[in-house]
Amino acid sequence: MTREHSPSDAADGAARPLLVAQDVGFHVEAPGGRLDILHDINLTLMPGETLAIVGASGSGKTTLLGLLAGLELPSTGGIELAGTALERLDEDGRAELRRRRVGFVFQSFHLMPSLTALENVMLALEIAGVDAPRPAAEAALREVGLGHRLDHYPRQMSGGEQQRVAIARAFAPEPALLFADEPTGNLDRRTGDQVAELLFRIHRDHGTSLVLVTHDPALARRCDRTAVIEDGRLALQPDAATPA
Amino acid sequence: MNAWRLSSRLLLRQGRSGALWMLIIGLGVAAAALTAVTLFTDRVGRALEQQAGEVLAADLRISGRARPADALEAQARELGLSTARLLDLDTVVYSDNESSLFEVKGAGDGYPLRGRLQVADAPGAADRPADGLPGTGEAWIEPRGLRALSIELGDPIWVGEQALTVTRLLTYEPDRGDGPFALAPRVIVALPDLLDAGLLGPGSRARHRLLVAGPAEAVSAYEQAVRPTLDDRTRLTTIRDAENQTSEALDQARRFLAVAALTAVVLAAVAVLLAALRFAEAQRDLVAVLKAFGARGAVIQRAMLLMLLGLVLCAAALGALGGGIGQHLIAEILAGNLQEPLPPVSLAPLPGLAAFTLLLAVGFALPPLAALRHVPPMRILNRSLDQRPRAGALGWLLAVAVALLLPVIQLGQPRLALYVLGGSAVLALALALAAWGAVRLTRALAHRVRGTYRFGLAGLGRREAMSIVQTTALGLGLMALLLLMVVRTELIDQWRASLPDDTPDHFMVNIQPDQADALREELAALGVEGLQVRPMANANLVAITGETPPDDAFTGQVNLSWIDRLPPANVVREGRFWSPDATGEISLASRWAERVGVGLGDRLTFDGGGQTFTGEVTSIREVDWGSFNVNFFLLVTPEAANQLPHQYIASFRAPPDRLEALDRVARSRPNVTLLDVGALVDRVFEIIDQVSRAAQVVFAFTLAAGLVVLLAALEATRDQRRSEAALLRTLGAERRMVRGGLLIEYGVMAVIAAALAVAGAAVVGGLLARELFGFDYRPGVGLFALGFGASVALIVGAGWLGNRSVLQTPPVRILRER
Repeated sequence: MTREHSPSDAADGAARPLLVAQDVGFHVEAPGGRLDILHDINLTLMPGETLAIVGASGSGKTTLLGLLAGLELPSTGGIELAGTALERLDEDGRAELRRRRVGFVFQSFHLMPSLTALENVMLALEIAGVDAPRPAAEAALREVGLGHRLDHYPRQMSGGEQQRVAIARAFAPEPALLFADEPTGNLDRRTGDQVAELLFRIHRDHGTSLVLVTHDPALARRCDRTAVIEDGRLALQPDAATPA
Repeated sequence: MNAWRLSSRLLLRQGRSGALWMLIIGLGVAAAALTAVTLFTDRVGRALEQQAGEVLAADLRISGRARPADALEAQARELGLSTARLLDLDTVVYSDNESSLFEVKGAGDGYPLRGRLQVADAPGAADRPADGLPGTGEAWIEPRGLRALSIELGDPIWVGEQALTVTRLLTYEPDRGDGPFALAPRVIVALPDLLDAGLLGPGSRARHRLLVAGPAEAVSAYEQAVRPTLDDRTRLTTIRDAENQTSEALDQARRFLAVAALTAVVLAAVAVLLAALRFAEAQRDLVAVLKAFGARGAVIQRAMLLMLLGLVLCAAALGALGGGIGQHLIAEILAGNLQEPLPPVSLAPLPGLAAFTLLLAVGFALPPLAALRHVPPMRILNRSLDQRPRAGALGWLLAVAVALLLPVIQLGQPRLALYVLGGSAVLALALALAAWGAVRLTRALAHRVRGTYRFGLAGLGRREAMSIVQTTALGLGLMALLLLMVVRTELIDQWRASLPDDTPDHFMVNIQPDQADALREELAALGVEGLQVRPMANANLVAITGETPPDDAFTGQVNLSWIDRLPPANVVREGRFWSPDATGEISLASRWAERVGVGLGDRLTFDGGGQTFTGEVTSIREVDWGSFNVNFFLLVTPEAANQLPHQYIASFRAPPDRLEALDRVARSRPNVTLLDVGALVDRVFEIIDQVSRAAQVVFAFTLAAGLVVLLAALEATRDQRRSEAALLRTLGAERRMVRGGLLIEYGVMAVIAAALAVAGAAVVGGLLARELFGFDYRPGVGLFALGFGASVALIVGAGWLGNRSVLQTPPVRILRER
């Protein structure tokens, strides 16, 4: 697999945005009538850029993350991921786009309990169609400091280690964009800091763009920009609006 | 909120919950299996009970090979009792075109003293009580007898030397009493006609009966007066004795079907437990909220109890419906062989079955539901504070007690119940061990394959315990059905094929000594193969080394033969067989010797018609009873021919093109009975086939229970599967990969269950073949391939249907899970 982007892409004035959300809205039909969750979200993310999404509980952060990653389609507006309009793709088309371009890290890790650390990472590589998944998976796990834990099952690992396996799984296929949903939410402060450090090191070393949903202000501050969601509307923080 | 309202809301709100339906279906399948068996045996039982009073056609019966003395009849009449005489024998009846073995009854005046004969005037016509008995020269014949002889009403038939005209169809005799199945059709004629038919030579197997009826006190007085005077060749039977025999036969049938139904019940109980655990898990949040709002644990527990009662009512209704259909199928399958139409279905057993369903629910579903009262309200703030206590000792005790109690209730005998439970447990354990090994193997294999295969194979390992339970349950159900198919088809076919080409297919019995030589020559002239003509005496065993023999079915009247050398299909196990000129020696079949407790050196004395023979046991033989040769438990040295009255019995294989000539040879000697063994064996196998098919109906419930376990397990793991599917989709897996993974998981489970079922059926079939039929069974590829394929398709299909919603899981679900 070849990397399709680099940190210098961000500095390249000709570079095209990696992610564009335009007038995105999302609502659901509830027994009491339509329930609007997001309104008029406009957002652009350049290659190599990092973005934190913060907001109160129930403000729509996770919904926005799901929309940006193509897990769901917006009710209104459009999202373009890596130059492809998501609404023009069916579910399998969006899955294929995620396979080629996107990685995920979840708050609850979501590792397969019956697979070893190595096999969990290999599974993602196999889904991505990598021909020789084993060496790539081993390299990814060594990079997150788990070279000695390849054949351990999730239940044999601490929470921090499980999250590091999940991070290895996310970046092993070398995605252009990594979505992380509360990646430190289930970890203690010290472990959380180590995991955050790991995420930003990968961002730096691989040039992977990063979109984080977090409650942690310290983590949000490490991002190039912070987007605050209030009542389903997005406000970019002016003091961090400039790409690093 | 009171418990009623809470339970009704829970039921209404959870109406779409899969776990709730699994609970109902699990209870329903168990109830249906037992309902089918109970309703059917209840119908058979009532049919037999209705006949119980008539089973002797009298209040008392004296029977024996010899005609009961006139003095016995006179004594009854002196007490004001009615009497009638009967004569029964098995013989071949001829028509112009055909011949067939019949049970012939010669009925004397007054018969039947209790109950009435029923006759019909044409095939298919309604029957009516008979007005009297067949007149001289008439015969009343069972409808299937018409078919056996290819005749119609009004045609002539020959019973021995008597030519008779068939004037009525015999539809009911009160004292038929052969159990549910009869090998030969029956015909009733006037007693004088049968006495004059020339069928009653020395050694005849005819049974004479004297029937007695009247006021209970007089019958009792007669019994007390007469019983001590009867010799041990004459038997006195009262209604009480006959009822005991009837209820024993019914009990055996009921136990057989109940054992079959119990496997379904045990599997259904597993499904009920799985579904109840899942349902209880899904209620924890709701219960925590209710308790936070102030609901008391006791109210919640009462609500759960009420809800369970509601479920039991639904399940009992479902079970009654399914069981009703099941018992109808069993009755339809067996209809051709049942002697009487069964009485209609009675609803009387239903309350008992509902109570049984309740017991099952209390044992397996109540413990997890009742434990909900302990859910802490703090769960609504922090789920980690909801520590699930391990099932309390009381809960497990309840389940185990119910599991033990159910078979005892059903079978009525704790020891038999223990055997059934133990046997099932051993079989299930063997299957579970094999399934465990196979699941471990697939888990190891999962490390060596990629992508879809890894996901699918790892799925089995991820849910190892559940996979083993599902595989075992399905394997058991499939094995039971396959085994019955094996018995019905391959076992019987292969047994027939295993018989040597010259295996006798005809027997000729009741040959008188003065007919033996001529018959031997005529049969040889017909070109029969393997002709053996053997003497046979019917004698009483009167002493074993000077002692009176034990009262046993194997003693009393016995058949013995003499020969100067060891006959074919016999091997001496102990001692040595006599030389041709030896005298005063006896050789015993090992089975008889063991049963009676006789060994080498013992001296046995036999009395035949007042003459005795005494000899010493000098050898014990193993006899191949499946060889179809004429074999005897007891052989004696040839000088017995001069001491015991006897007749001859011939066995041979008749050339297919000489059957008509053979028929003429037999007809020329009316006392001789020609038996077509092939036709009898066909009839026996027809009965085995129908009983197997009826049992398959019951075992279909076992398979249904296995499928419910599969679906309940699917329901229990649905959330886990959805998460996995969502994760894979989020990582970019196509729907086809998720689908492929599920298919692989279920395909592998199906292959394991089907392979275990096929192997189990082959092994048990092999054991049956060796132990019961005495040949080496070779499992046929076709049947097992069909069984294997059908099993795999069934399990994969059920798994696929149960998993459709998993494939619809949107990937965004993964973000909602914490």
